[in-house]
Amino acid sequence: MSGWRKYTGLIVTLLIVLLLTFWPLITGKDITRETIFTILLSVALASSLNILLGYTGYVSFGHVVFFGLGGYVGFYLLSVQGWSLWIAMLAGGAASAILAFLLGKAILRLRGGYFALATIGVNEAMRAFINNFEPFGGPVGMTLNFQVYRDYGGPAQALWLSFYMLAALTIIVVIISYSVRMSKFGLGLLAIREDEDAAEVMGVIAPNVKTWAYVLSAIIPGILGVIFFFKNGNIEPAPAFRLHFSIEMIVMVMLGGQGTVLGPVLGGMGYQSLRGYLLTSPLFKNIQLAVAGALLLIIVLFVPAGVVGWLRQRFPALRRVLQ
Amino acid sequence: MKRALILFSLLLVFALILGACGGGNTNNEPAAANNASSSSADTSSAADTSTDEAMPEAKTETVVIGFTTSQTGSQNVSSVRQVNGLMQWMNAVNDAGGIELSDGTKVTFEAVTYDDESNTDRVQELYTRLATEDEADFLISPYSSGLTAASAVIAEQYGKVMITTGAASDDTYKQGLTTVFQAYTPASRYLTGAVDLLESLDPSVKKLAFVYENSKFSTDVVEAAKSYAESKGYEIVLFEGYDPETTDFGPFINKIQDSGPDAILGGGHFQDGSTFARQLNEKNIDVKFFTLLVAPPEPDFADLGDAAVGVIGPSQWEPLAAFTPESAQEAGLEWFGITSDEFVSAYEANYEGEEPSYHSAGGYVAGLILQKAILDADSIDPDKVKAALEAMDLLTFYGHIKFDTTAEAHGLQIGHSMVYIQWQDGDAGLAKQVVWPIEGATADTLYPMP
Repeated sequence: MSGWRKYTGLIVTLLIVLLLTFWPLITGKDITRETIFTILLSVALASSLNILLGYTGYVSFGHVVFFGLGGYVGFYLLSVQGWSLWIAMLAGGAASAILAFLLGKAILRLRGGYFALATIGVNEAMRAFINNFEPFGGPVGMTLNFQVYRDYGGPAQALWLSFYMLAALTIIVVIISYSVRMSKFGLGLLAIREDEDAAEVMGVIAPNVKTWAYVLSAIIPGILGVIFFFKNGNIEPAPAFRLHFSIEMIVMVMLGGQGTVLGPVLGGMGYQSLRGYLLTSPLFKNIQLAVAGALLLIIVLFVPAGVVGWLRQRFPALRRVLQ
Repeated sequence: MKRALILFSLLLVFALILGACGGGNTNNEPAAANNASSSSADTSSAADTSTDEAMPEAKTETVVIGFTTSQTGSQNVSSVRQVNGLMQWMNAVNDAGGIELSDGTKVTFEAVTYDDESNTDRVQELYTRLATEDEADFLISPYSSGLTAASAVIAEQYGKVMITTGAASDDTYKQGLTTVFQAYTPASRYLTGAVDLLESLDPSVKKLAFVYENSKFSTDVVEAAKSYAESKGYEIVLFEGYDPETTDFGPFINKIQDSGPDAILGGGHFQDGSTFARQLNEKNIDVKFFTLLVAPPEPDFADLGDAAVGVIGPSQWEPLAAFTPESAQEAGLEWFGITSDEFVSAYEANYEGEEPSYHSAGGYVAGLILQKAILDADSIDPDKVKAALEAMDLLTFYGHIKFDTTAEAHGLQIGHSMVYIQWQDGDAGLAKQVVWPIEGATADTLYPMP
């Protein structure tokens, strides 16, 4: 009994992700698959960002740079070099990890607002670079030949394949997030979040720990970028490095509860479900941005700790379940 | 513990309800694009009832057309104009009682649209919704090539015929698509007419400069124009891209001065193009021929005053362009639809005097193409409509429409050509004149430009 109770937090979070994953299979509807794809993508991205933002306390406004770079590297290998999707995904993740490692060494020495500003700069610099990098199509970007989809059984099968891969990655990122939180490494991150100087005095080698947290938070977005743009059929610099998407990721983490495993999952689900509903609701679709903004404002004003934070405060008995 | 479990169960239910919010919206009736299309849908269903009772042999079919609109975001203005044009076509057809097939069936149309927010995040989700939940029979593309490429994957998956408009990139049609048909002149032929015009005006000119916005659309266009110009023996003395946010064109104008071209081609969108034209005029650069993308056909370009005089711009359609039933007869093509004058007056009446842009005409013609294909197919069966589109070769107020049917570029527009306008200072003040192609010209080209 005590064995599985130890992992209640992880089990609860995984159950939610699994329910989302199986929902399209239960309903058998393609639109459910598309809706859950958008939600799972956000859940996975928010959970990745949470490793840096939630556990380490570093606000990154440029996290989409890993999504975009991974997407570009993978798309290039897939469409131009004709490599398989699996290798393209690994390459996308590796490219993002390498960029995060190099950036980590350079900009993680900055703190607070300076770090946040630097991440915006990195994203813009990467977009400008890709815009002028001819092998990646420069400003024109790249388009996927339909033959690539036929190699995976046609567009319909390719869309399902993308969904399954995304679901698997979301499960992996939740397990990584939980493992980090429960590990000594994670404790080091939490210590840095509370007081970086004190953490160093206590023996945490902050520059290294922060860099590895950054790398860990970048790998999954890199792979997700490959899946997203493979499914999308084309890639261009502006949608790949969209700053607004980074801000949405932060909102999702804050909404669900930063620094928790379940928080980004609930935040991603809640945010994208709300946006999806407003966007297609006959009643709200013409004022969907205003309604979404007002609701988010209300939530942030009255539940600043996020959904999970609020529930943990309000119902102490749930603390074991809500991690 | 029991309390905790109950709370946890509640939490799970909450999470699932949230998850369902996006996907469970299946019983919502398709929202009409505007009030006019709602009423048309009502009319068609009313017609259904009455015809069922009185004349069982004559039935009415309502065809659902799905598309997204950029109601928000950077593409908002162009996209809304495009949809305005499309809705004008739809309302006109429905008001006339629909399209009549040979068996007496009346086909009316109903629109379902969602906001794509000018970004690709949800385009595939929304088009999947249109194709499955809303049961759209035919699709119209979003505005812009990037969004269209994403939506084409979904159209192809469900075998839905999609007419693309507002999407000029060639790439999308060269990837093996089979159900997507392009209304716009592709980017590869966007500026080639300007090279032809220059050649016809002055064969002695040989030096060209390309200064263009570093964006997908502009780069696509100028690279094709550059290759075309080189094949015609022109020397490209400058080929320089600028950032979309550029406001100071001084460094580029200096490079133009240093390279000494006879003609400048390029630009990108309205803001940068008009700034470029104004600064070039302020520096008094001596060029004979100046062509910019997108900005010159916009009525607001006239605000530049003297700086606008002589500037040439390609346009997918212009109200002045003389495509008429007579010109169709001369060209040996079938004529279909209304004339430009009829389109302009109906559009201005519907949209509070707003002058239609080529985006509006593009929206209208997308519907017109579909209407003609249904008529030719004498059916709303997608396969028959697709075959009719492949065989289409006609002239409309918008110009010539014909699609590539080869496997390499299926659906690419090969009939339509750009018209080129030039701002000229006449007796009535600054006005646009169509200067190319010759058969649609309303004035001689002002050359060399003042």
